[in-house]
Amino acid sequence: MILIAYAGLVFAAMAAIYRLVTGPTIADRVIALDLLLVSLMTAIVVDAVVTGDAVLLNLLVVIAIIGFTATVAVARFMERPR
Amino acid sequence: MIAAQRITALTAQTVAVHPVSWAFVLGGVAVIVLAAVGLLKLKTPYARIHAAGKASPVAFLIASVGASIELGWAAGARLVVASAALIITLPLAVHLLFRALHGTRAADDPPVDELREGHGSRPV
Repeated sequence: MILIAYAGLVFAAMAAIYRLVTGPTIADRVIALDLLLVSLMTAIVVDAVVTGDAVLLNLLVVIAIIGFTATVAVARFMERPR
Repeated sequence: MIAAQRITALTAQTVAVHPVSWAFVLGGVAVIVLAAVGLLKLKTPYARIHAAGKASPVAFLIASVGASIELGWAAGARLVVASAALIITLPLAVHLLFRALHGTRAADDPPVDELREGHGSRPV
Protein backbone atom coordinates (compact mmCIF):
# COMPACT_ATOMS: atom_id res chain seq x y z
CA MET A 1 0.00 0.00 0.00
CA ILE A 2 2.71 2.46 1.02
CA LEU A 3 4.82 1.46 -1.94
CA ILE A 4 1.88 1.87 -4.34
CA ALA A 5 1.15 5.36 -3.03
CA TYR A 6 4.75 6.49 -3.17
CA ALA A 7 5.31 4.90 -6.59
CA GLY A 8 2.35 6.83 -8.00
CA LEU A 9 3.65 10.06 -6.55
CA VAL A 10 7.16 9.42 -7.85
CA PHE A 11 5.72 8.69 -11.30
CA ALA A 12 3.79 11.97 -11.22
CA ALA A 13 6.88 13.86 -10.13
CA MET A 14 9.03 12.26 -12.84
CA ALA A 15 6.43 13.10 -15.48
CA ALA A 16 6.36 16.67 -14.23
CA ILE A 17 10.16 16.88 -14.35
CA TYR A 18 10.17 15.49 -17.89
CA ARG A 19 7.65 18.09 -18.98
CA LEU A 20 9.62 20.73 -17.10
CA VAL A 21 12.80 19.91 -19.02
CA THR A 22 11.33 19.34 -22.48
CA GLY A 23 8.24 21.51 -22.42
CA PRO A 24 7.77 23.36 -25.69
CA THR A 25 6.28 26.47 -24.11
CA ILE A 26 6.80 28.34 -20.87
CA ALA A 27 3.24 27.51 -19.81
CA ASP A 28 4.04 23.79 -19.98
CA ARG A 29 7.00 24.29 -17.70
CA VAL A 30 4.96 26.32 -15.24
CA ILE A 31 2.15 23.78 -15.05
CA ALA A 32 4.76 21.05 -14.64
CA LEU A 33 6.17 22.90 -11.65
CA ASP A 34 2.65 23.20 -10.30
CA LEU A 35 2.04 19.47 -10.65
CA LEU A 36 5.41 18.83 -9.01
CA LEU A 37 4.41 20.94 -6.02
CA VAL A 38 1.03 19.25 -5.73
CA SER A 39 2.67 15.84 -5.83
CA LEU A 40 5.02 17.02 -3.08
CA MET A 41 2.01 18.13 -1.02
CA THR A 42 0.28 14.79 -1.56
CA ALA A 43 3.51 13.03 -0.54
CA ILE A 44 3.50 15.02 2.70
CA VAL A 45 -0.10 13.93 3.30
CA VAL A 46 0.80 10.27 2.62
CA ASP A 47 3.76 10.57 4.97
CA ALA A 48 1.49 11.97 7.69
CA VAL A 49 -0.90 9.05 7.21
CA VAL A 50 1.87 6.44 7.28
CA THR A 51 3.71 7.71 10.32
CA GLY A 52 0.66 9.04 12.18
CA ASP A 53 2.55 12.29 12.73
CA ALA A 54 0.79 15.50 11.79
CA VAL A 55 3.57 18.00 12.33
CA LEU A 56 4.48 18.32 8.64
CA LEU A 57 0.96 19.35 7.68
CA ASN A 58 1.79 22.95 8.56
CA LEU A 59 3.92 23.10 5.44
CA LEU A 60 1.01 22.52 3.08
CA VAL A 61 -0.43 26.03 3.19
CA VAL A 62 3.00 27.54 2.64
CA ILE A 63 3.69 25.31 -0.36
CA ALA A 64 0.28 26.05 -1.89
CA ILE A 65 0.70 29.82 -1.62
CA ILE A 66 4.30 29.77 -2.87
CA GLY A 67 3.22 27.75 -5.92
CA PHE A 68 0.40 30.17 -6.63
CA THR A 69 2.73 33.15 -6.35
CA ALA A 70 5.27 31.58 -8.70
CA THR A 71 2.62 30.75 -11.29
CA VAL A 72 1.14 34.24 -11.21
CA ALA A 73 4.58 35.82 -11.51
CA VAL A 74 5.50 33.76 -14.58
CA ALA A 75 2.08 34.38 -16.14
CA ARG A 76 2.53 38.13 -15.77
CA PHE A 77 6.02 37.80 -17.22
CA MET A 78 4.63 35.98 -20.25
CA GLU A 79 1.90 38.55 -20.72
CA ARG A 80 3.87 41.76 -20.45
CA PRO A 81 3.87 44.05 -23.47
CA ARG A 82 6.74 43.95 -25.88
CA MET B 1 8.84 11.16 15.46
CA ILE B 2 12.50 10.70 14.76
CA ALA B 3 13.87 9.59 11.41
CA ALA B 4 14.62 5.97 12.33
CA GLN B 5 11.06 5.41 13.48
CA ARG B 6 9.82 7.09 10.31
CA ILE B 7 11.90 4.78 8.13
CA THR B 8 10.72 1.78 10.14
CA ALA B 9 7.12 2.83 9.61
CA LEU B 10 7.80 3.22 5.90
CA THR B 11 9.34 -0.17 5.40
CA ALA B 12 7.63 -2.47 7.91
CA GLN B 13 4.21 -0.74 8.06
CA THR B 14 4.15 -0.63 11.83
CA VAL B 15 1.30 1.86 11.95
CA ALA B 16 -2.07 0.29 11.27
CA VAL B 17 -4.01 2.54 8.91
CA HIS B 18 -7.75 2.30 8.43
CA PRO B 19 -8.73 0.76 5.04
CA VAL B 20 -11.13 3.60 4.23
CA SER B 21 -8.30 6.06 4.77
CA TRP B 22 -6.08 4.02 2.46
CA ALA B 23 -8.82 3.95 -0.15
CA PHE B 24 -9.10 7.75 -0.18
CA VAL B 25 -5.32 8.25 -0.20
CA LEU B 26 -4.83 5.79 -3.05
CA GLY B 27 -7.71 7.44 -4.92
CA GLY B 28 -5.95 10.77 -4.66
CA VAL B 29 -2.71 9.19 -5.87
CA ALA B 30 -4.60 7.63 -8.80
CA VAL B 31 -6.00 11.02 -9.80
CA ILE B 32 -2.58 12.65 -9.68
CA VAL B 33 -1.16 9.77 -11.76
CA LEU B 34 -3.87 10.44 -14.34
CA ALA B 35 -2.95 14.12 -14.31
CA ALA B 36 0.68 13.18 -14.92
CA VAL B 37 -0.28 10.89 -17.79
CA GLY B 38 -2.27 13.73 -19.31
CA LEU B 39 0.68 16.06 -18.89
CA LEU B 40 2.90 13.55 -20.66
CA LYS B 41 0.72 12.33 -23.50
CA LEU B 42 -1.51 15.18 -24.66
CA LYS B 43 -0.55 17.08 -27.78
CA THR B 44 -1.29 20.78 -27.33
CA PRO B 45 -0.30 23.07 -24.42
CA TYR B 46 -3.97 23.89 -23.78
CA ALA B 47 -4.80 20.21 -23.32
CA ARG B 48 -1.81 19.66 -21.07
CA ILE B 49 -2.68 22.58 -18.81
CA HIS B 50 -6.29 21.42 -18.78
CA ALA B 51 -5.26 17.94 -17.67
CA ALA B 52 -2.73 18.89 -15.03
CA GLY B 53 -4.19 22.06 -13.63
CA LYS B 54 -7.69 20.82 -12.98
CA ALA B 55 -6.99 17.32 -11.71
CA SER B 56 -4.28 18.21 -9.20
CA PRO B 57 -6.41 20.07 -6.58
CA VAL B 58 -8.97 17.26 -6.77
CA ALA B 59 -6.21 14.75 -6.12
CA PHE B 60 -4.99 16.66 -3.10
CA LEU B 61 -8.55 17.02 -1.82
CA ILE B 62 -9.25 13.28 -2.01
CA ALA B 63 -5.93 12.40 -0.35
CA SER B 64 -6.54 14.93 2.43
CA VAL B 65 -10.00 13.44 3.08
CA GLY B 66 -8.28 10.10 3.67
CA ALA B 67 -5.67 11.68 5.92
CA SER B 68 -8.39 13.47 7.91
CA ILE B 69 -10.13 10.15 8.53
CA GLU B 70 -6.88 8.69 9.81
CA LEU B 71 -5.41 11.55 11.79
CA GLY B 72 -8.36 13.13 13.58
CA TRP B 73 -9.77 16.60 14.05
CA ALA B 74 -6.62 18.64 14.74
CA ALA B 75 -4.86 17.44 11.61
CA GLY B 76 -8.13 17.61 9.70
CA ALA B 77 -8.43 21.32 10.44
CA ARG B 78 -4.98 21.95 9.00
CA LEU B 79 -5.82 19.83 5.98
CA VAL B 80 -9.01 21.85 5.46
CA VAL B 81 -7.00 25.08 5.51
CA ALA B 82 -4.45 23.66 3.06
CA SER B 83 -7.18 22.35 0.75
CA ALA B 84 -8.96 25.70 0.83
CA ALA B 85 -5.74 27.50 -0.06
CA LEU B 86 -5.08 25.12 -2.94
CA ILE B 87 -8.64 25.15 -4.27
CA ILE B 88 -8.90 28.94 -4.15
CA THR B 89 -5.52 29.67 -5.68
CA LEU B 90 -4.86 26.93 -8.23
CA PRO B 91 -7.79 27.56 -10.63
CA LEU B 92 -6.91 31.25 -10.54
CA ALA B 93 -3.31 30.46 -11.45
CA VAL B 94 -4.42 28.12 -14.24
CA HIS B 95 -6.74 30.81 -15.60
CA LEU B 96 -3.92 33.34 -15.66
CA LEU B 97 -1.70 30.79 -17.34
CA PHE B 98 -4.29 30.08 -20.04
CA ARG B 99 -4.69 33.80 -20.62
CA ALA B 100 -0.95 34.33 -20.92
CA LEU B 101 -0.58 31.31 -23.20
CA HIS B 102 -3.35 32.56 -25.44
CA GLY B 103 -1.58 35.88 -25.86
CA THR B 104 1.75 34.26 -26.69
CA ARG B 105 2.60 33.08 -30.16
CA ALA B 106 4.70 29.98 -30.55
CA ALA B 107 7.35 31.80 -32.55
CA ASP B 108 8.29 34.20 -29.78
CA ASP B 109 7.60 31.94 -26.87
CA PRO B 110 10.41 33.27 -24.74
CA PRO B 111 8.83 36.73 -24.83
CA VAL B 112 12.06 38.66 -24.44
CA ASP B 113 14.96 36.92 -26.13
CA GLU B 114 17.89 39.18 -25.55
CA LEU B 115 20.40 36.85 -27.15
CA ARG B 116 18.63 36.47 -30.49
CA GLU B 117 18.32 40.10 -31.54
CA GLY B 118 21.16 42.58 -31.54
CA HIS B 119 23.69 40.47 -29.63
CA GLY B 120 24.01 43.02 -26.89
CA SER B 121 24.25 46.00 -29.20
CA ARG B 122 20.64 46.95 -28.53
CA PRO B 123 20.27 50.14 -26.45
CA VAL B 124 18.89 49.21 -23.09
